[in-house]
Order: sequence, then structure tokens, then C-alpha cells
Amino acid sequence: MISRTPVAAAASLGLCALALGGAATAAAAENDDQAMVSVFHAVPGLDVDVYANGDELIPDFKPGTLTDPQPLPAGSYDLKVFKAGADPKGKPAIQKTVEVPAGANATVVAHLNADGAPQLDAFVNDTSDVAAGKARLTVRHVAAAPAVDVRAGGTPIFKDLVNPKEDTATVDAGTVSADVVLAGTDDVAIGPADLNLKEGTANVVYAWGSAKDKNLALKVQTLTGMHSAPSGVNAGATNDPDAWPAYAAGFGLLGLAGALTARRVVSRGSRA
Amino acid sequence: MTVLLAVSGATVLALAPSRESLPPTADFDARTAASPPAAPPVRAEDTGSPTTTPSASPVSSAAVPRWLDIERVGLRAAIEPRGIAADGSADIPEDPEKVGWYRFGPAPGEPSGSAVMVGHVDSRTGDLGAFAALFDVRAGDEVTVRRAAAPPVTYRVVARARVDKDRLPASAFARTGRPVLTMITCAPPFDAERGGYQRNLVVTAIPAAPTG
Repeated sequence: MISRTPVAAAASLGLCALALGGAATAAAAENDDQAMVSVFHAVPGLDVDVYANGDELIPDFKPGTLTDPQPLPAGSYDLKVFKAGADPKGKPAIQKTVEVPAGANATVVAHLNADGAPQLDAFVNDTSDVAAGKARLTVRHVAAAPAVDVRAGGTPIFKDLVNPKEDTATVDAGTVSADVVLAGTDDVAIGPADLNLKEGTANVVYAWGSAKDKNLALKVQTLTGMHSAPSGVNAGATNDPDAWPAYAAGFGLLGLAGALTARRVVSRGSRA
Repeated sequence: MTVLLAVSGATVLALAPSRESLPPTADFDARTAASPPAAPPVRAEDTGSPTTTPSASPVSSAAVPRWLDIERVGLRAAIEPRGIAADGSADIPEDPEKVGWYRFGPAPGEPSGSAVMVGHVDSRTGDLGAFAALFDVRAGDEVTVRRAAAPPVTYRVVARARVDKDRLPASAFARTGRPVLTMITCAPPFDAERGGYQRNLVVTAIPAAPTG
């Protein structure tokens, strides 16, 4: 599972500090005791430093920023978020202990709760394969806002989603025009925005920000490599039971098929 | 008469060792036959999404394949980009004279993965489909794919195999690994009650020159 997640850009990020013993490589992600972790800063107006188990994980993290997935040892992380430049021995702006299960692909989100207070939540990303031609769409409500519906092309696909819940569906690959409305209404809170849901990908859309401060926004996280092969190739005129199979109608160019038919006749004859 | 025999005789045929049905170029069979059978794809719940519009191919429009030629066997077919049919199988052009390129996978000329072409072996009227010609293909045959606004890509046939339709290797649709062109059609036996042709003919070709 994990190995399917692209980690090409991984080395450039500060998460290395946590990945013990040079584990911040794609190869390390193959290990069973590893997890892939992204971090999304969804608290508007606050530049922060993020600490994990006392080590600085991400310095000067700007709102709206989402890190690429990084391999991390699975386990328990004591996460503390401070205003950028603040003394990490002081009282953090947000604190939470997060369990990162082995083999998981997870996104840790610093965000506002429905009432506007900052909090941390860890979401596990579904990286199981999708059927050929499909894409996975997940929406996470991490905004200081009431319950919402999420619509695609004007039709609700997720209803009554509340902070900090998520909902997921498998949809045809393609581009959808998505917006977020107050639950049960046509009052658009965010969007519309075009989402390009590529085949074989998982797309996580975060509704974040604050309704009161009028800075609600969408952030999209895309994970790739969940594609499947088609279920088969049906390349004959086979859907019509009255079809006349070409090889039986003198499939002469196939010396082979001719031989098969002949043998079939012989076999049948000898059985009869 | 022949048709009746062909249909009712399917059971008998199924008993015949599949090796016997291989073409004279049986060495062709090694690669595909040795591949592990395709794992059934995970069937995720389909919530239906009539609101989606088909995604643009990840391939630049210039590199979209347009024509497939195998001159030695007289095959020349227009190519249509195709996706997935409602039943989850690869979608194939209605017109039996055209072949479909699996647009979710690599395109011919890409540096890695399997570019897949699917085509009919026959039509409802009994005429032959474009890919019936694959039954005449030999190792070394040259395959040319002409593209919308990019130079043609040339391949050389290296393998031909028949596999049961439900054992088409997932590797036929690989998105990574060495670049290959995979051409797939249907092959006897034909059993109307079990959905028609029971096997796939799979022809594999590799780039005749480095792709770039």
C-alpha cells in the first residue's frame, strides 16, 4: 500500500528530523513499521512551528500549506503547535497525542473546530485500489462552520457533514464542479471549484477556514497509484446471443481456428 | 450446422489441452503464460456520478495515438481513445474496423508501462474485425503507431499468447515497467451461453528503437 504513494519530493521537507536513522527514504516506507504522514495547516492567520515528541517537525508553517507524504516510524506522537518563533517550552497553541498506525497513510490536520477553536486531528487516508475508470473522493469538514452538504454539478453527494467528520465515495474519473452549501440549503459557502479527479487516484478535499471570518476555502490532497486493470477485454461480437461468430462462418484466414473447428467436429462425431 | 456444432461443442473443446491450441509460434506463449493470473480488481462501490465529464487523458494531445499499422498482415486501423464499459471491462469501439486505446494507461511512445490496444475479432454480421489480423502476426512483425502531432512509434512483435479471458494478466495493463505495446482481441472457443469468446489473444510488441 504505502509503496504506491509517491515520495519523490519527500527529501526536501523538514520531517526528516523525525525519521530516525535516515529512514526518510522511499525504501524505508516499505517497512511494515512505517507510516506515510502528511501535515495540513488549516488554522487561518497563524504561522506556527510544529513539534513532535519534543523535536521541531515543521518550522514556520504557513496556513493553507500541506506537506507531501513522508515515511515516519509508526507509533505515538506528542504533537505541539506553537506560534512561529515562540518558546517551545511554553504553553502550546494546540496539543494532542496522535497514534500513527503501522502501514497507514495518514494526514494530520491542525484546524479550527466548529466553534472556531484550534485543534489537531489525524485522518487515515484510504489507499485501497479503486476499480478501473474510477477515482475516490473524500471530503473532510475541518472548518469553523456548521453542517454542510457537498455538491457535484449541483447534486448533493455528501450530506450533513459536520466538523471534524469525513465522507467518501467512489466516482467516475473526470472533472466535477463542486461546491459546499449549508446543510439542506442552496446557500453556497464555498465554491464552486473544478476538481479534476484522475483515474486511479484518491482525492481528499478539505473544507477549512472560518465562516465568521469569511475565509472558508477548499484544499485538495491527491494520492496516486490506486488504479486497477479493467475486469477483462470482451472483443468479440459477444453481447448478442444471435451473433454469428466469425470463426464459425469460415474463419479461413485462421488456419488454426479452422483446425479447431474440424477437431471439434471429429470429437463430437466420435462421441456420438 | 457448423454453428450449432461450434456452440454445443464448446464443452468438448474445453477438455482439449490448451497447449494444442497454440499457434506454430508456440515460443510466443512463454511470456504471457508465465505471468501470474490477474487478480480480480477491487470492486469499489459505485455511487454513480453522472456529473463527471470524462477526464482529459494524461497524455499530451500531440501524443494521442491515431492509426495502428501492421503492414505485413494488412492491418491498418483507426484508433479511438476508450475507457471503461459499464461492466468494468475495457471499452471497445462499436465499429469493428477501429481499435481502442486504453486511455487511462500509458500511450504508445511513453517511456514506461503497457500501452494497450483492444479491438474486435469479428462483427455481428460475421465480418472480421480489425484485430482478426492478429491471428496472422509473427515474431518480428513491425507495428507502427501514428500519432496526432508527434512522430510515429515503431514496435516489433515479440510474443503472442492465448489466455482464458478471466486470466488476462494484470501486467497487460501495467503502468510502470518496460515500455510495451499490448494488443488484445478475442479468441475461440465461442460459447454463446457463456458470453461468447472464452479466450483472449494477446500480442506483445517492444519498441523497435529507443522511445523519446
